[in-house]
Amino acid sequence: MMLRPRTDRQAGPASSARADKGLPPAARALLVLALLAVFAGLVLAVLSLSEPAPGLAAAVDERIDESGVSHPVTAVLLNFRGYDTLLELVVLVLAVMGAWSVGRARGCAGNVPGPLLRQLPRLMAPLMVLVAGYLLWVGAHAPGGAFQAGSLLGGVGILLCLSGYPLPGWANGPALRVSAVLGVAVFAALGVVAALLPGGAPLDWPPAQAKTLILTIELAAMLSIGVVLAALFAGGRP
Amino acid sequence: MPLDPSGPGLAGPAWMLAVVFLPLAGALLCFLLPRLAAPVGLVAAALTAASTLALTLAVMADGTARTQLGGWAAPLGILWRADGLSVALLAMTAAVGVTVSLYATAYFRNDEHERTFFWPLWLLLWTALNALFVSADLFNLYVTLELLGFAAASLTALGGSAAALTGAIRYLLVSVLGSLSYLLGVALIYHGCGTVDLALVAACVPDAPRPAMQVAAGAMIAGLLLKTALFPFHFWLPPAHGSAPAPVSAVLSALVVKASFYLVLRLWVDVLGGGGRWVAELLGVLGAAAVLWGSVLALRQERLKLLIAYSTVAQVGYLFIAFPLAVAGGAVAWTGALYLALAHGLAKAAMFLSAGNLLRFGGHDRIAELDSAVHRLPLTLTAFALAGVSIMGLPPSGGFIGKWLLLEAAFEQERFGLVAVILLGGVLAAAYVFKVVGHAFTPAARERRIRAVPPGMEWSALLLAAAAIVLGLTLPLISPLLQLGPASAASAVTLAAGGGA
Repeated sequence: MMLRPRTDRQAGPASSARADKGLPPAARALLVLALLAVFAGLVLAVLSLSEPAPGLAAAVDERIDESGVSHPVTAVLLNFRGYDTLLELVVLVLAVMGAWSVGRARGCAGNVPGPLLRQLPRLMAPLMVLVAGYLLWVGAHAPGGAFQAGSLLGGVGILLCLSGYPLPGWANGPALRVSAVLGVAVFAALGVVAALLPGGAPLDWPPAQAKTLILTIELAAMLSIGVVLAALFAGGRP
Repeated sequence: MPLDPSGPGLAGPAWMLAVVFLPLAGALLCFLLPRLAAPVGLVAAALTAASTLALTLAVMADGTARTQLGGWAAPLGILWRADGLSVALLAMTAAVGVTVSLYATAYFRNDEHERTFFWPLWLLLWTALNALFVSADLFNLYVTLELLGFAAASLTALGGSAAALTGAIRYLLVSVLGSLSYLLGVALIYHGCGTVDLALVAACVPDAPRPAMQVAAGAMIAGLLLKTALFPFHFWLPPAHGSAPAPVSAVLSALVVKASFYLVLRLWVDVLGGGGRWVAELLGVLGAAAVLWGSVLALRQERLKLLIAYSTVAQVGYLFIAFPLAVAGGAVAWTGALYLALAHGLAKAAMFLSAGNLLRFGGHDRIAELDSAVHRLPLTLTAFALAGVSIMGLPPSGGFIGKWLLLEAAFEQERFGLVAVILLGGVLAAAYVFKVVGHAFTPAARERRIRAVPPGMEWSALLLAAAAIVLGLTLPLISPLLQLGPASAASAVTLAAGGGA
């Protein structure tokens, strides 16, 4: 917001340049008052809330046996409302595309680690990968799943980057792009195949195969989430 | 579980699947194969447009198409629903989308960086638009809004100049603020109704606790108005739309602001059951102010793309003038506003593409120095003028039909203030269109350095402008899709018969 666009020498007083010079103090004060009024209104609205309507928890419990997993959050994320999750994964891929379109990454090779960072990743990284795998597996019946596991993998990537760990050259090439979109690609492809089955619907997992399908999707999604988070930390295209 | 137990056929659901997943698959492929981004993207665009056409025909033949995603029924799962309103906007998106894609192959030919990132981002933007138009779930709509906002902001920044980055960041912040405000409303509705399905929420709203529902509706609509750039929330639009590459500006102005307008309309008509009278009046006043303020500022611009961007601010205003008219019983006003939205989509895209041609041709878009462009780029200037005809609202364009229907409703209700604004907006539009055309016809004072414009870029602009004109002749075909109230059918058909269209 502090950047000033180059002002055309012929730009009139009403052109976009004016907005960047900031508002006069009076307008600023008015704006603050208006925002405070909106905030007060929201607080009043929240205070006036009655008892929440019975949500969908009962409906989830009722159908969870058909979902292929026994943890309600995973059932909602990967089955009942799997389409939302698919689009959220698309948002992550989009974030990488957006970041890459703006500039290049600083690169991790130049990071010179201190004594702690030099040793820590050697101990932590394998353990974190192991915990990620555990979180993925346990998500079927307890808190966990692809997003938590993927965040851990992203943490591994960030740790390696900070410690200046040299990545092999292929890791910055097509392999990076493939692993970033893998989650969305697997999820969407299985979702379309499910629609093509006789009597199927998009993302409609047959109960008998649901567990396998969900685990496959989560495995791909975990990898993509980890790669996307690490790529966003690197901050630009390789 | 069957696709839809109550639906008339399988064609609609299958094409809905195609219009969402084809552009998504195209975007992923473009990202994976950066060298082949343009041809792969063009194929994906063509397939998406063809599926949209098939979906439109299926809905026109069989009525509303429905799909239960994951095979789960409404409160538990997410529904897709494509009715007349949805397919009208999907079809406009496809028409603009496929033409902009053609244009973009030529526009980005010599810029590898912009080309490799334009295609995946643009196809994801198209995915988000299509997903938004078929979604019947408040939370899923939020996800599509986020996808749309991020794709649009990334595309805005594609040019890489300081102005583009500033515009894109402001756009991103505004877009996120709008989405969060919408999400706040969704949370309050879920609290009160225990569901986020549009039809179930619509059934619940009349009995739900009042203050919370009013705040929810207010938060959602305010967030969407911010994204639609209704006056006084338009401040972010000209810098963003004015500094993006031409195909991106076309898509932002023609499609992205229409998506949030569509959602306002969907909530207003289908979920909130009409909304309050004074809210409609407020929207009408803001719309009228937008028409006048946007037009006057457009007239004062000295850069072509900013002029076109301010014209969008004005044209968005017309869409909201319909609210007080429709609430007072003139459902024909909805048809008028939607007709204007479709016509503006086609015409505004044509204008931005023309501006891109002039920019490519002369290396600048200063209106005063457009002299003699008409001799070198006759097709581009024809496109600009034809698009201008629709923006002004002259017959037989789509813009004319839309304004005519709005005027009809305004006269019927004796709202002469709104009549005056609608007419004055048209006069001001004529003034700013002729300002550009006039300079383009002026003989050059001196030789300027110029660059050739690929014919594909000229023809795409002309194609869209011609579509905006032809839209005015297809009222009988399109008006059945745009029925949002019982009264609008008769009136629109009368006009079609009387107009000899």
